[in-house]
Order: sequence, then structure tokens, then C-alpha cells
Amino acid sequence: MEFGEYLRKRREELKREDPQFSVRRVAGRIGVEPSYLSKIERSLQPPPSEQTTRALAEVLDEDADFLLALAGKVSSDLAEIIRSRPRLFADLLRQLKDMPDHAVLRVVREVRDGEW
Amino acid sequence: MIELKNDSLVFSFDQVHPQARLSLDLMRTLRIPDDDTTHLLPPGLGRFPLRHVDDFATSVPDQWVAHGGVMFPMYQSEAMWLSFDSDYLDRRDTSYPFAIKISSGKINAITGDTWTDHLTGDPQDYMVSPTQPWLDGFCVEKDVIRQFVAMPLGSGYTAEEQISGAAEHGGLQILVHPMKRAVFERRFPERDEQQVFYEMSSEMCFAEAEPMEIGLAPGGRMRQEIYEDPFDINDWDTAQASRCFVHIANSLVWRSITGDDPPTTPPTSREYTEAGFPWFDYYSDGETRLEGSRTLRKLKSVATLGQEKSDIPLPENDSIDVEHVVTIREGIGRDQVREGSF
Repeated sequence: MEFGEYLRKRREELKREDPQFSVRRVAGRIGVEPSYLSKIERSLQPPPSEQTTRALAEVLDEDADFLLALAGKVSSDLAEIIRSRPRLFADLLRQLKDMPDHAVLRVVREVRDGEW
Repeated sequence: MIELKNDSLVFSFDQVHPQARLSLDLMRTLRIPDDDTTHLLPPGLGRFPLRHVDDFATSVPDQWVAHGGVMFPMYQSEAMWLSFDSDYLDRRDTSYPFAIKISSGKINAITGDTWTDHLTGDPQDYMVSPTQPWLDGFCVEKDVIRQFVAMPLGSGYTAEEQISGAAEHGGLQILVHPMKRAVFERRFPERDEQQVFYEMSSEMCFAEAEPMEIGLAPGGRMRQEIYEDPFDINDWDTAQASRCFVHIANSLVWRSITGDDPPTTPPTSREYTEAGFPWFDYYSDGETRLEGSRTLRKLKSVATLGQEKSDIPLPENDSIDVEHVVTIREGIGRDQVREGSF
């Protein structure tokens, strides 16, 4: 699903229970113009900055990493982790790519045995 | 596979059985007086901090990095014991059984023989968990061990130096084999839920000048039964093995290696006893005990050797008069603990 489409569905779902989730009010809470938010929702504008996406995640009670991924972005702290050891983490992520969730969740560090 | 979790070494053999998981802890404790008395079990005063050797590769001897494994700090003349624990499996009425071989300075703590990578049945050179809940020292006679006491490697006191004549390896070496899965399932079949429920309800009623490496020397005498393997040596899945080299660093250099403070020195036996805290006694009604090794019987205790060398290796070696004793019956781990506080 597209970022904009997901955003609109989620916001409208919340608006059914609570009128403060109108485009105008949500835009006001994250500090953007209502017309800009509306264009993002209709995919007439690309997804916003990391900061705005994080603010949206907070207002809509969504996971920030999930929304950032949907927006095609990597959160800056993760980017920094990869930049610090690029080959190691790139390698690690590629290896984990096809592993099932339970296996990924159990990445452990073994005590290394050497030559006695 | 061996992992380090909250200062425990966790040996797991998921490839054999999902419940084949053993925790091994290195426990801080009191040093019992090294006199002619055979003492009771001292308490556990919490776990020693354990670290991966690889995380401090630039501050430890190259040999430690080559050995791999983990490390922990001990003060000279401090004592320790090893605790073996695995989850109790209600439906099978047991914990998963393991054969555990322990050496210090590559001298086997049960037989006094030098290290091998396999189990020997005669004389038995390993212990069985859950039958054996802990090990406090070198098995010098039937039902008597001499407590593991930290001494600088090279000082001549360690069991390794007394037996092999060399100060080469130090530390602790651990080998663990799980029981074969087929044997486990045959010996301990799952019971049906109702029976389990019934039984559970009824139960409800480098400071540079300091020597860096520590070895384990034989200290005071303690009453401790070392049990014969109640199974068959062929029941152990020797194709599956996990072994770990545990290095012991002098506590005085621990901070310079890791940046962390080592634990404080434990109280003396006298301080602990006079404060009214308990000592422990453990026995099993049904298990056969090992006789103890002739080689280890010849070991001289730290105090005896110190006298011969006109040295005082053990400060505060006062004898004690124990009044408060807690007796623990077989079946440790479910609702009984061997712990003290100070």
C-alpha cells in the first residue's frame, strides 16, 4: 500500500471515533498546511521528511519505523548504525533477509571456543 | 551453543531437544577455614560478572584470545563454586540430564587427570545434572572436597602446578554433553496433564604490579557428595558437545581490563557466621557417591603449603563455630536455594 493511501485510511478510521482527526486538525498538530497533508494523502506529493513522518506516527498512534519504511526512508539512527559499520551490517541484513521472524528475533551471540 | 545471559553460561542443544538447556553459574562465596575441620556448604553470594574475552582482546593476554571463551574476576584467596541448573520439566518429572566435566588448569576436579575432550566412565571424570546441583572444589576423598580458592598462577599453590608442575593453563575448562534424545524420551516419558495437575496441587500444601592470571588451588575441606552417573555412559550424546574456557583475572586488574569495578570482597567465614547467617548441608538418600581421587588426595591445601613456604597466603583463616545450619534435601532448584546475604 502507498504511504498516502495508508495515511488517509488510518486517519479516517480514527476520525470516525474522534473529530480531532480531521485533515485540518492533524495538519495543525504536526505543523504543516492542511493542503500539503491532503496532497500527501492523495499521493500528489511525495512522503514528508523524517521529522514530519515521526510526528504523524505519534499523532496517529503508529509505529514510526513502520511509517518511515512505508515512506521509503530509513530512520536516521538506523542509517547511522549502518554507516558506522557498513560492510558488517549490510552483510548481516542481507543474511537475515529470508529468515523467518522467529529466527531473526533470536539472533544471539555465542561464546566462542578457540584452541586450548 | 553457549550464550552469556545475565552472567550465566547457558548451554543449549536445540538440535538435540528444545528442552536441552543448562545454566552454569559461577557463584561468589565465603572462603571456608583451611584447617583440619570438614566444613559445611557456604552460601552463594551472587554470581561473578562474566564477560566475553573477545570484547577485551587488546587488554588480555594473547593466549586468552586464542582460547576464546569468557572471563571473570577473583581476588587472591577468594573462593567460588559452580552451580548447575536446568528447567524442571513437570510433564517428564525431571530436568533435562547433562554430563558435565570440569577442570581447572586442565586438571580434572573429580579425578585429578589431565584434560581430555571426551567422557571417561572408569574412573568417572564427570558429573551429572540434575543429580549433582553444584561443585565447590576438588574431590579429594569420598564426600570431601577441597574448596576452589583463587591463587596467582605461578605461585605454586594451584592444583595445576602441584600436579603437572607447570603454571600453563589456569582458569576453568568446562565440557557439557546432553543426554541422547531417544534415551531421554525413553527414560522420562511425558505424563498426561491430569497426573501433573494432581501432583502440583498436592505440592502446594591489570594494576601492573599485580599478577594478572588466577588459578584455582585446593582450600579448606568441605563435606560434599559427588554422585555416580545414575545412567549409562552410552546415554550421553557425545556427538553433541559444548566446551568453554573460563579465564580468571585478578580482581585488582579487572577494572583496567574492562573499565568495570569487580565485586567487593566477600565477608570472612567468621564475620558471616557471627552475624547469624546460615551454612548449608545437602545430601541425597538414594545416590551412590564417588570415592574421590588418589591424585587429588595428595594435593596440599593452600594453608599447608603456605606453612611449608613460610608464607601467609590466607589472611583471616580463623576457625568457626557454626550453629545455624540449613539442610537441603535432594531436589534442589524447585523450592530450595543455597543463598546468603550479607
